[in-house]
Amino acid sequence: MSETAANQTAAPKPDLRLLMEQVVKLLVERPDEVKLDTEDDNGETVFYLKVAPQDLGRVIGKQGRTARSLRALLEAAGERQNLRCDLEILEEDEE
Amino acid sequence: MPLTDKVAAANQINDLLKMILSGAGFRLKYRITVNPPATGREDWRQPEITVQFAGPDSPILLARNNALLNALEHLAVKALHLESEEHDRIGFDCENSRQVHLEEIRMAADVAAERVRKSGMPYKFAPMNSRDRRAIHLALSQPGDLRTESEGEGPQRCVVVYPKDYKPGPVKHVGRRR
Repeated sequence: MSETAANQTAAPKPDLRLLMEQVVKLLVERPDEVKLDTEDDNGETVFYLKVAPQDLGRVIGKQGRTARSLRALLEAAGERQNLRCDLEILEEDEE
Repeated sequence: MPLTDKVAAANQINDLLKMILSGAGFRLKYRITVNPPATGREDWRQPEITVQFAGPDSPILLARNNALLNALEHLAVKALHLESEEHDRIGFDCENSRQVHLEEIRMAADVAAERVRKSGMPYKFAPMNSRDRRAIHLALSQPGDLRTESEGEGPQRCVVVYPKDYKPGPVKHVGRRR
C-alpha cells in the first residue's frame, strides 16, 4: 500500500474560468482547441465552452454525465464564492 | 487506457485534485491510497485507488446526493482515460459516506433476497446507478439460489432479483430510491 496526502487551503482569488479550462483540457484530445468565454447574464456568470468537434463527445460523456460533472464542479466552485454559474457547451455551428 | 501503473495514476489524480481544490478555493484535504487494505467482504470489487476527503467544505462535496464528490470521481476517471469497465477501480469518498451507503445497499440486497426466497416471486429495486447495481449483483451472486438482472434503460435501469429457476411473470414493485 502506498499513500500520498495533500492539504489544500483556499486560494486568494479563484479564477473559475482558468480552472474549468484546465480541467477540460485534461479530458480532450485537442487541448489547444479548448475555448472558454464568460458572460454575465442577470447576475449569473455563464461559461461558454467550445472544443474541437471530435472532442464534443468527451466533454458531454455517456448520457451527459461528463457535462453534468463539469457543471457540478462549476456550480460548487461558484457557490463557494457566492457566484451563480452555468456552463453551456457549444456545438460546432454555435458561437 | 488500461490502469496498469497505479502509482502513476494516483499521482495524476493528485495533480488534478490539487489543481481543482486550489483553483476553486475548496477547504478540503484528501488522502490517496493505492491498494487499500481489504475490507473482508468478498462480494464486491474494492477500488484499487481510493481518495478520502475531509475538511470544512465536506458538506459541499456531499450536497445534493454527493453531486460534487461524484463529479470529481468521474472527472478523475475521464482525465485518466480509463475504459468504462475500469471505472470501479477508482473510488472517491468523503468521511466514509460511500462506505456507509454501500453497507445500506448490501443490507437492502439481503432483505430482498429473503423476500424472494420466501415468496418465490421477483423483487424489483428502484432505479439506481451502475455502482449500486453492481453491488447488488455481487452481494447476491452467492449462494446461487437466486439470479439478478439489470433491466430498463438509462436513469430507469434497475435490478430485479429472481428465484434461480423463475419462469417469467408479473414483477412486484417495491420502491427503494437512493
